[in-house]
Amino acid sequence: MPAGAGIGLRAQHHFDVLSASAVSWLEAHAENYFADGGPQVDALLKIRALHPLSLHGVGLSLGSTDPLDTRHLRNLRRTVERFEPALLSEHLSWSSVGGRFANDLLPLPYTEEALRHISERVAQVQDYLGRQILLENVSSYLEFACSRMAEWEFVAGVAEQSGCGILLDLNNVYVAAQNHGFDPHRYLNALPPATVQEFHLAGHARIDCNGRPLLIDTHGAPVCAAVWELYRTALLRFGELPTLIEWDTDIPALDVLLEEAEKANSIRADVNAVAA
Amino acid sequence: MPSLHELQTHLLEAVLDGEPDRALPFIFDNGLAPERRLQVYADNARANFAGSLRCTFPVIRRLVGEEYFQQCAARFQRRHPSRCGDLQHAGRQFPQFLAELHAQDEYRYLADIARLEQLCEECLLGADHGPLDLQKLARVDAAAYDDICFRLHPAARVFSSAYPCLRIREVNFSDQTDPEIVDLQSAADRLLLIRRRERLEFHRLSSDEHAFLQALYLGGRFAAAVDAGNAGNGEFDAGAALRRFVAAQAIVDFH
Repeated sequence: MPAGAGIGLRAQHHFDVLSASAVSWLEAHAENYFADGGPQVDALLKIRALHPLSLHGVGLSLGSTDPLDTRHLRNLRRTVERFEPALLSEHLSWSSVGGRFANDLLPLPYTEEALRHISERVAQVQDYLGRQILLENVSSYLEFACSRMAEWEFVAGVAEQSGCGILLDLNNVYVAAQNHGFDPHRYLNALPPATVQEFHLAGHARIDCNGRPLLIDTHGAPVCAAVWELYRTALLRFGELPTLIEWDTDIPALDVLLEEAEKANSIRADVNAVAA
Repeated sequence: MPSLHELQTHLLEAVLDGEPDRALPFIFDNGLAPERRLQVYADNARANFAGSLRCTFPVIRRLVGEEYFQQCAARFQRRHPSRCGDLQHAGRQFPQFLAELHAQDEYRYLADIARLEQLCEECLLGADHGPLDLQKLARVDAAAYDDICFRLHPAARVFSSAYPCLRIREVNFSDQTDPEIVDLQSAADRLLLIRRRERLEFHRLSSDEHAFLQALYLGGRFAAAVDAGNAGNGEFDAGAALRRFVAAQAIVDFH
């Protein structure tokens, strides 16, 4: 992957991306391209011919206690074979049980049982796909009373037990830290540097819940100043890694995303200059 | 301590069924009521599901308005929750749901509009395919024609309705502020839908052609499809129909 920051690809930008020379690389939601054919698939094939690509799954429900969805896995493998992404990622979460899907990224309890369960499933998926996947930490709005370890210990444990890499979403770290009252730097300091292979950056919303603020991971706003600072810290700890700007709701013009990517590039250059 | 399965089961009851009681003891308060924390996920699940339906059924949303559409989506989600991690399939039963919801009132036509929109999406997601290999067809013994099963293009579908659904779709597909009023009794629709390159094409069919194509789409033998075409006034020209649909690349293969 190039060092320059990439952007999340959304259908609204398919045409613009084909002629945008400033795009460094792109990340697409894998499920959006599961179709047998058609305009979406054609567009991504054309884009893939011009730009490096990462595929990011949102529907595998890796932490679920249901059996792995073999049809979804087959579709994912076909999509990976079709587009040959440089990076492939999913989420450290679950979204289904009893055959019903919430189609949202639900948090796991940080227990030994959950750690063992999701690590085994991630290893199965990697065996099936014949490649390593990256797992992204998710934003969360609740904590389970039964958790027996910190989120960062759980994330590091899954990477160790399954052999997967970590896609470190710095906005998600910040959102969880604000919602649950921990220091986000503690999170970063606990992750083994070799396991982190990609960064995500995005915006969030702040809602008021009876006088108490709750941050919601909307992907619908610019990256906030505190997350840019966290990015600076992450670059110092984990080094120069592929960095992605995500924007999924109230999607602005491509130029706005490219400006955010340029801001990430500028911070990376600053950090490199200081380190030198 | 609950098992992982127990915790997930009760959390999903809260998120999808609006029944949080059995999940509440699992959640740490930490300054904000667990009910409120769970509500964030319930809101997300409902919004994601409705958003998917909104993408597949933009004309239905336009016809009924955002508020009623969201009510329908929520009721539909309760009855037919998503069964996979890919929301593109979530609305497959939405036309039937609308048919049952409006079986006895003046909005009966909505189910047919939804069915047309569902078929449009299927065409847009279907595989690509080249034209029929005419040399391969020429090698078939004429005596074996009756038993041939022709295959429609993977991105082609056949549609019929007592209502002018295509016209309703055309005038409501964009966000123009003052769409034409369509007389529901003005015409019935019989259509072949096919995606060519990136665009959908709509071909109007006679009732004979519709019966013929529908029989082929369902996998019937050529002789049975011709019989279906002839079931009306008995004047169906199977040769002309075959030439038309091969030329339109609606028929692309056979076995």
